[in-house]
Amino acid sequence: MGAYVLRRLSYGIGVVFGVLFLLFILFFTVTKPDDIARRALGEKAPPEVIEQWKINHGYDRPLWPWQDWDDNLLFDHYERMLTFDFGLSDADDSPITERIASGVGPSLSLTVPLLVLGILVAIPLSLLVAFFRETYIDRMGVFLCVLAMSVSMLLYIIGAQFLIGKVLRWYPISGFDSNLLMLPRFLALPLIVGVLSGVGGDVRFYRTVFLEESSRDFVRTARAKGASEARIMTRHVLRNAMIPILTNVVLAIPFLFTGALLLEAFFGIPGLGSITVDAIAANDFSTLRTMVFIGSLLFILGQIATDLSYGLVDPRVRFE
Amino acid sequence: MRARSEAEGAGGRVGLLSLVIVCFVMSAFPSGCSNNPYPPTREGEKVLYSSFVDAPRTLDPARAYNTRAHAITGAVYDTLLKYHFLKRPLELIPGLAVSLPEKTELPDGRVRYRFELRRDLLFADDACFGLDRPGQRTREVVAADIAFQLARIADAEVGSPVIEPFSNIDGFQEFSRALTARREADPGFAARPVHEQYAELGGIPGVRTPSSHVLDVILHRPYPQIRYWFAMEFSTPVPWEAVEYYDGRGGRPRFDDHPVGTGPYVLSEYSKRSRYVLERSKNWYGVRHPEWKAPAATYPSEGEEEDRLAGRLDYAGRTLPFIDRVEVRREKESIPRFNKFLQGYYDASGIIKESFDKVVQEDALSPEMKARGIALEKAVSPDVFYIGFNFDDPVVGRAGGERSRKLRQAMSRVIDVEEFTRVFNNGRGVPAQSPIPPGIYGYDPDYENPARRVDLERAKQLMVEAGYPGGIDPETGEALRLTFDSADTSSAGLTKVQFYVSAWKRLGIDVRVEATNYNQFLEKLRNGAHQVFESGWVADYPDPENFLFLLWSQMGKSKFGGPNATNFSNARFDELFVSMKTRENGPRRMAEIREMLRILEHERPWIELFHREEYSLYHGWVRNVKPMGISMPTYQYRDLDPVLRAQRRREWNEPIVWPAWVLLGAAVLVVLPGIRTYLKERQ
Amino acid sequence: MMDLEPHVISNLVTGALLVGIALIARSVRRQRLWREAATQLWRRRRIAILVVGVYLAIGLLDSIAWKGGVPEDVVDVLPNAPLTLIDRAFLGSREASYSAPFADVEFYGGDPLRNPGSHPLGTDILGRDVLYLSLKGARVALLIGGLTSLIAIPLALFFGVGAGYFGGRFDDGVFFLISTLASMPGLLLLIALIMAMGRGTVSVCVALGVTSWVGFCRLSRAETLKLRELDYVAAARALGVTEIRIVLRHILPNLAHLIVITFVLMFSGLVLSEVVLSWLGIGVDGSWGQMIDSARNELSREPIIWWNIAAAGTALFGLVLAVNSVGDAIRDVLDPRTLKEAP
Repeated sequence: MGAYVLRRLSYGIGVVFGVLFLLFILFFTVTKPDDIARRALGEKAPPEVIEQWKINHGYDRPLWPWQDWDDNLLFDHYERMLTFDFGLSDADDSPITERIASGVGPSLSLTVPLLVLGILVAIPLSLLVAFFRETYIDRMGVFLCVLAMSVSMLLYIIGAQFLIGKVLRWYPISGFDSNLLMLPRFLALPLIVGVLSGVGGDVRFYRTVFLEESSRDFVRTARAKGASEARIMTRHVLRNAMIPILTNVVLAIPFLFTGALLLEAFFGIPGLGSITVDAIAANDFSTLRTMVFIGSLLFILGQIATDLSYGLVDPRVRFE
Repeated sequence: MRARSEAEGAGGRVGLLSLVIVCFVMSAFPSGCSNNPYPPTREGEKVLYSSFVDAPRTLDPARAYNTRAHAITGAVYDTLLKYHFLKRPLELIPGLAVSLPEKTELPDGRVRYRFELRRDLLFADDACFGLDRPGQRTREVVAADIAFQLARIADAEVGSPVIEPFSNIDGFQEFSRALTARREADPGFAARPVHEQYAELGGIPGVRTPSSHVLDVILHRPYPQIRYWFAMEFSTPVPWEAVEYYDGRGGRPRFDDHPVGTGPYVLSEYSKRSRYVLERSKNWYGVRHPEWKAPAATYPSEGEEEDRLAGRLDYAGRTLPFIDRVEVRREKESIPRFNKFLQGYYDASGIIKESFDKVVQEDALSPEMKARGIALEKAVSPDVFYIGFNFDDPVVGRAGGERSRKLRQAMSRVIDVEEFTRVFNNGRGVPAQSPIPPGIYGYDPDYENPARRVDLERAKQLMVEAGYPGGIDPETGEALRLTFDSADTSSAGLTKVQFYVSAWKRLGIDVRVEATNYNQFLEKLRNGAHQVFESGWVADYPDPENFLFLLWSQMGKSKFGGPNATNFSNARFDELFVSMKTRENGPRRMAEIREMLRILEHERPWIELFHREEYSLYHGWVRNVKPMGISMPTYQYRDLDPVLRAQRRREWNEPIVWPAWVLLGAAVLVVLPGIRTYLKERQ
Repeated sequence: MMDLEPHVISNLVTGALLVGIALIARSVRRQRLWREAATQLWRRRRIAILVVGVYLAIGLLDSIAWKGGVPEDVVDVLPNAPLTLIDRAFLGSREASYSAPFADVEFYGGDPLRNPGSHPLGTDILGRDVLYLSLKGARVALLIGGLTSLIAIPLALFFGVGAGYFGGRFDDGVFFLISTLASMPGLLLLIALIMAMGRGTVSVCVALGVTSWVGFCRLSRAETLKLRELDYVAAARALGVTEIRIVLRHILPNLAHLIVITFVLMFSGLVLSEVVLSWLGIGVDGSWGQMIDSARNELSREPIIWWNIAAAGTALFGLVLAVNSVGDAIRDVLDPRTLKEAP
């Protein structure tokens, strides 16, 4: 077991190094520090100002170790990222760590309810569909799911802001306030849109899981024993489907932190997703690469955690 | 075994429980809903609600150079001179200065401007003043604070974008170079606080403080426009303590994000990603010394006739400011912003083109808007938008000689700006005949540029003369291919560009659009990697020099990094410009400007498009709105009636709830059979 | 070599595509397994298949272009420019600005139209026929889905099959690459790639390709691992058949159904991603995404201008829905077991 954990962890570290190398290629060699400086400072900036800016941001060194072993951007990039010293934003010189810290709260306040609500809506619906499998309800349900999946998120957002925000005046069209009394009314609209756009895929996925479980031997046995179908669905099928469902949920957790790009941008929620969108618009490469790195890191950690917990539950996994 | 049965029970309950929760949540939504985005305010407090798109990169008055930043710095930093709120064309009045500066021509050809600062001016309360004496919260403003700020503009490390105009100050460049050299040579010097560095070098030679409240600015050549620069925040008094204290370390914000000024408002909350709050400053001289009746701290009693009609003179003689707090929230998308204005949640707004026909009918407010008590203000802003040709380019530029000139003339004659403004801007905007917009000296409403008259036949003939009959490039046998560089990658932006592209298509020219984001666009201009492009310029101050310098060869982009992105250079134009630049307004100057415009008619470095016409709306509870044209906030003049506003908001935002119940009913109808079957089977 | 003009290349590719489709159809008819699958698919999803066919036909019609043959009085066309069949069908349909479906006058101002009553979906702000734009969008969407798949699937097969079949260092390398790419948030990686490569159809497709090959690579690697151990592969190896031949003759044909399923399922996802990219300002010119993005604010016009966004939205929705539902059926028909839907 210990060896497995060690191996899994070291592999995870290897992947982190791989991600960092890819980021280096994209954000230092394809887009050079000189380009980044000019984009940040604008065209009027005289050369000495650009040089000064590069010094302030630590971009004034050679790229590769073979150019200067002790002082190069590649090693510096690794060192900074791995010590979570993300430095200054390329666009407005503000510290990135602080900015990200300010975005975590708003992001989580949207994504956590979104995840929970999504599950609470998707599971009963998929149980319902699976319960009535092979009937018209099932077929209609699946069709509705495909329908819901085929609509672009952009259209959902536009529709909801127009209909619910403007015509029916239920909630503010957009905005955010961390005040707990004010928060729910700002979250309502993005939550509705988020659940609506995600529910199709989720229901379809859970339905397959339920159907697979319900064709297993123990379910057949239970059925033979005369247990009611509803009881079978809730007791046997749901319980056994918990593992794939939980895996699905655990794998979604890292994405809670990277935020919901479109929802945050459109509804004006100052979370990590809209930080990313802003960074794209502002050519803020340092923030963008930090966001990619954090997203990747969380994902890798999530995967390791899932794998290890499988290892704990199922000893066979170790030998794979 | 026990654990197992528990889990089984839980599994059974989860299904029902979640159903109950979903029903609960769904029913809770419509009943608990309201679209009011604000928490309640204190009774009678006057709060103005406004919005911003993106936070400015910096609030450092030495660097901030765009409307977004000025919306804050203009309220927080006060200047020696201000503009009269109501008079047009814009007129300078004394601000922090006792009077307008006294101009003296020195015997050696230099020019001195003497400003006298008011006494007993205080900076806004701030922790940074504890640096000097612990516990101290503010101190008096002295002339040295302005000298310090001017030295910061000269400091290359600050990176101010306005070094050029201030270089007219005697010894400005020399001071800047000496500072950089000394820092390089002496690391010990470079490590000292900047105000000590400036002091050690003796400051800028042309900026003197004969006494604590007198500031002399000496120019080495005449430059009458310098007065305008003292009405902009670049020359505001800045306390050295703030620059020293707000260094971004130890949890302190940077000076870029924490202004300390002398203005009517202080920035009390600043989260760049969601909102900022301006609160009235108790240290502002208008508040502390209403008895001075200072011109920039008192509501003006003179104005134009329309001001009287609009009730903007009702406040004449009253002491500013009226509004206690300005809350500005981030609103990236234009439609939600405008809808919130219509719902009464923002007090003022521009008109988005999509709602124009709802709001404006036959050049006045629509009855629906009037019934809501909304008022409309129109103003032509001192700016110009244009399509430019890069003169370094072999096809459209100077190398092509007469051929290229004819091509430019032909392309200029098919762009129908009136049609463009009709389609895209609801007819708002004045078609531009020259770079000089209305309200700026040199603008002539009767002047009609012959090269801007739409004439397809003449243009086609010019194409033939240029050697491209029917648009065919004889070298390739295909349509002449040009590249149009756009700084707007949004779909809406690309649609606008298509308007020009299809106009040129009529001449048979194949124009390909290369859209990049703004920064990459600027980079292309700098590298000269552009051919045809669109750009715009907003006045820094009301003088034609600020527009015509866009075509001065000394401002050439590729050679000098200046804003002349066409790289246009014409010896006669340059000669006239240099002469016109320092001349006071008068017939000589007008004649020179006329001749410059004639050169442009023929040479066509630009296809002048339009001067924007801004329509702003404000609700009936807001008083004293008048656009300034140039970028300058006027919060201190405004007033509002919070009681009326609260009442209107309630009336306008009654939610329509019945669809929620219909939806809920439908959901129940769908789910009910399932539950029934479940219960039946359970028994 | 002759210097071919773009429209000639486009014509040739279109011809090649048609020949390819015919060849595939023939080979499907020849093999019992595939023939049965096709019949079953047709029975299950008749409408959806027809819809996809219509989109394909429009895309093809918009890919065949030639020069000349333009009447003198048409002004909106460049001299000597190649025009497709669709372009020709809408020659001279341009108006000045907005007009409603089947309207006789302009929407604002009420000036009479050049072609009254001839725009079944109205015109956009520049007076272009919306039906024309929507039809043009079909080719762009097919190009995004098709070109990206052409980049992603061979890439995935090369690495996946190679890693699965040859194992060893190569497998380790590929697996590491996959894990690295898979752990980077997809949309962010996509944006980063496009920002580095610049805008344009090709760079968007390449970026989409790079970010979407990972899943299929993993799948084909796993399948190859299984196939490799099968008796007949072992037998072939014992008979001295070369490795390349084994991969080509025995492994790849057995992955064919996975390729088909992945292609179809990937397709709709790609078309939807392009909409998000258009919103971020880095999409493909002429796509439905751009139409939606430039039209979304028009919903706020009073009176409302709905036909733009409705046309683009419906065209997009129709294609994605049809492809999704065909994809569903294909999965059920070809492979009920190995593939589980991604959440």
